[in-house]
Amino acid sequence: MRRVLILGVLATLVLSGAGAGVTFAQPNRIVVYSALPDLETTLVHREFTRRTGIQVEALSVAAAGTLAARIRAEKDRPRADIFVGGSADFHAPLATEGLLLAYRSPVAAEARVNPAYRDPNGFWHGWYLGALGIIINTDRWDRDMAPRRVAKPATWDDLVRPEFRGQFIMPSPMTTGGGFIFVAAQIFRLGEDRAWAWLRQLNANASQYTPTAPGTITLLARGEGVVGMQWAHEGIGARLANMQPLETLVPPDTAFEIGAASIIKGGPNPDGARAYVDFLLTRVPQVINASYGFRYPVRGDVPVPTGATPFDQLRFVRYDRDWAIQNMSRIRERWQREIGR
Amino acid sequence: MATTSLSGLRRQLADPGVALAFLAALATLGVFVLYPTFRVLVYPALADYLAIPRSVRWLQAARNSLVMMVLSTVTATFAGLVFAFAATRPDVPGRRFFRGVALLPLFAPPFMVAFAYILMFGRQGLITRTLLGLDVNIFGWHGLWLVQTVAFFPLAMLIIIGVLEAINPSLEHAARNLGADEWTVVRTVTLALARPGIAGAALVVAISVLADFGNAVVIAGGFPLLATEAWFRMEGLADLKGAALVVAMLIVPTTVLFLLERYWVSRRAYVTVTGRGSPIDHPPTHPALRWAAASFCAAMTVLVVLVYLGVIAGAFTTVWGRDWTPTLAHWRLAADRLPTLWASVRIGALAGAITGVVAVAVAFLTSRPLPLRAALDFLAVLPGALPGVFVGVGFVLAFNRPPLELVGTVWIIALALAFWHLPMGYQAAVATLKQIERSIEEAATNLGASGLRVLWDIYLPLLRRAFAGAFVVSFIRAVTNVSIVVFLVAPGNVVATFAILNMIGNGIWGAAAALTTMLLALTLAAVWIAQVALGRAVRGLPARVGA
Repeated sequence: MRRVLILGVLATLVLSGAGAGVTFAQPNRIVVYSALPDLETTLVHREFTRRTGIQVEALSVAAAGTLAARIRAEKDRPRADIFVGGSADFHAPLATEGLLLAYRSPVAAEARVNPAYRDPNGFWHGWYLGALGIIINTDRWDRDMAPRRVAKPATWDDLVRPEFRGQFIMPSPMTTGGGFIFVAAQIFRLGEDRAWAWLRQLNANASQYTPTAPGTITLLARGEGVVGMQWAHEGIGARLANMQPLETLVPPDTAFEIGAASIIKGGPNPDGARAYVDFLLTRVPQVINASYGFRYPVRGDVPVPTGATPFDQLRFVRYDRDWAIQNMSRIRERWQREIGR
Repeated sequence: MATTSLSGLRRQLADPGVALAFLAALATLGVFVLYPTFRVLVYPALADYLAIPRSVRWLQAARNSLVMMVLSTVTATFAGLVFAFAATRPDVPGRRFFRGVALLPLFAPPFMVAFAYILMFGRQGLITRTLLGLDVNIFGWHGLWLVQTVAFFPLAMLIIIGVLEAINPSLEHAARNLGADEWTVVRTVTLALARPGIAGAALVVAISVLADFGNAVVIAGGFPLLATEAWFRMEGLADLKGAALVVAMLIVPTTVLFLLERYWVSRRAYVTVTGRGSPIDHPPTHPALRWAAASFCAAMTVLVVLVYLGVIAGAFTTVWGRDWTPTLAHWRLAADRLPTLWASVRIGALAGAITGVVAVAVAFLTSRPLPLRAALDFLAVLPGALPGVFVGVGFVLAFNRPPLELVGTVWIIALALAFWHLPMGYQAAVATLKQIERSIEEAATNLGASGLRVLWDIYLPLLRRAFAGAFVVSFIRAVTNVSIVVFLVAPGNVVATFAILNMIGNGIWGAAAALTTMLLALTLAAVWIAQVALGRAVRGLPARVGA
């Protein structure tokens, strides 16, 4: 008798799962895959719904690669309308594979956004920017470096100084976009051969190359290293929003990412998706992203994020994005050979 | 085991109920295990596979994975065995406490365990730095070894306990009466009878270690491993093809392990639950053995408790390592994510029920002398060889279009988790089945019972413990899983671990610790309810068999 009872409970349990969570295309709703943190995503979407009346179902994952892989996996029947956040380097390959829908937002022209910040074919629109920076754990600096009168690093070359042996942390160029852009920036700065000699020197200082980008901030904040390299806005955000003992500066010859948004081809609501892209290029979402995510806006009429140097005062290396993407696998293979970790 | 007569075999095959059940099980596993695997494996082209030997990093990762597998499997299985031994001896001091503590690592998302160890033993660690003033680097293979041992010994313990408890104490009495000393009794009776359980446990631990990315991703640092490499390919590079390739490399060693286990375990018969025995008390354990087991368990307990202290303290600390002022601020932030906890519990219960039913059914069917049972057996163990990300992607590729369009539903998450955890439940059910003497069944069959009647009246009561174990383990693992859900959650059914991972990714550690603490409390409560509901029947088992 008890057996029958237990089987009955199980059957009820299994049936209770049925019918839940199936999603259907709705004219007044869009589905967004967001690589931005929950907070910025929620605030931007609240404002979008208020202005357009379109509801947003969002999934935010702090890793653009995961979302891009998901979009590839769902290619036969796309579930989402929008892929927002993450470097354009993640959006561009999706366009090449034919997974994105081209769109030229009229707002981009109206706001006079630099044309370099959007795909010439309209597959992605950049709506924020980030620059690579040097991040220092101030607690450990005061304890270990200040008493020895070590000067704070101000340039990429300062990172190879022997004082930082075993104390440097950055995201791995093998597995992260930021790490790769850093290595490519050194190649553009020094030329290929000198860059590899320099990277070998840096490797002598490296305590570890974190497999994920946020890992570098986590470890630096924990004091597992004294200096590191990551997106400057991540370092600033960790200090201002999460009270971590981190100091961030952007050295000369740095490189930047274009934070993009793109429309997924075959998604349930393409009209809603276009309205979303238009909205991202307006002032309000960029103010939200600058205030809470410390990322640079692409619009000129949005204030510079707190704690950041204005974007046009930064000095960038001449970074050839197309060359970098074309040579990506060759550079990564050489990294394995030269650095071996 | 006992030879089955030819007429018996004919009767099995002729029994339409068993034959249908067998076909249904084969079809189910084909759809939910084989098909997604196939979809991922054919994703890369042959040329991609041929290029594998050229990648220095991948070969390194393969070697590292094998080294970690050996190290962590040995220590985790040993620790699991000692705990199982202590837990099943009525006279080992604190045995109930140890058993409870040993289950704790199963309740937290793996990355949180590793994260707590960094908080405790890292450069800014509470113990290493604040208390001892040491400068320790926990990142790397040694840190991973420690974390994997702590994370996986509970699996070994659960499986071995199931077997040790089924050993009839009268055998130990018999050995002692024949003049064997205590050590000989343990070695030649207890451990010898527990061998299928230990081998099964080692197999499950080994493949868990190979597929483990949650711990490795946090604590392995620059030490490349196959499972994490698959994840990084996807997360960092959006390279589904590369991930599929790395995962294909992982399947080779797990297949070898599987064959090894089959060969080793099936060499002896292990029958102790018989229709003739009656429950007898355990003989006293030798004091030296008793105290050695208790001290070992106590040492492991400290390691386990530290993890939980770290997480819970983190939830109440303003900023770990800097500002130790107690605060409740993190809880307000975590409370916003309460709906994710409910989603976790619902999906976990669904996954647990599916795992339990399928595991017990398949274990019963593979114990029959039926053709193709080796295939069924292999399919039931195969998911253990697949890293979570692989299963997640496989399910998306396989069930994103009709006839089985499941993407975006709760079902796809529950099914993926249920079948991924099937090997654990299945191994436990098989080990339990091996303990049941065929004569009980033969008696029933001779009295005219059909195959399904045998399952219902004889095996089901005996397998209830296996079902309960499979349900509980699958539930816990489903609720704490990250690697699969990261691919399958859809807007509207976001689960707690996913929310926690996002919080960690965004550096909101306090709230992540608070939400983890809530998840722990909820999981413990759910498991307690399950044990009350299912456990009563289990305790009455020996008496019923004897009657």
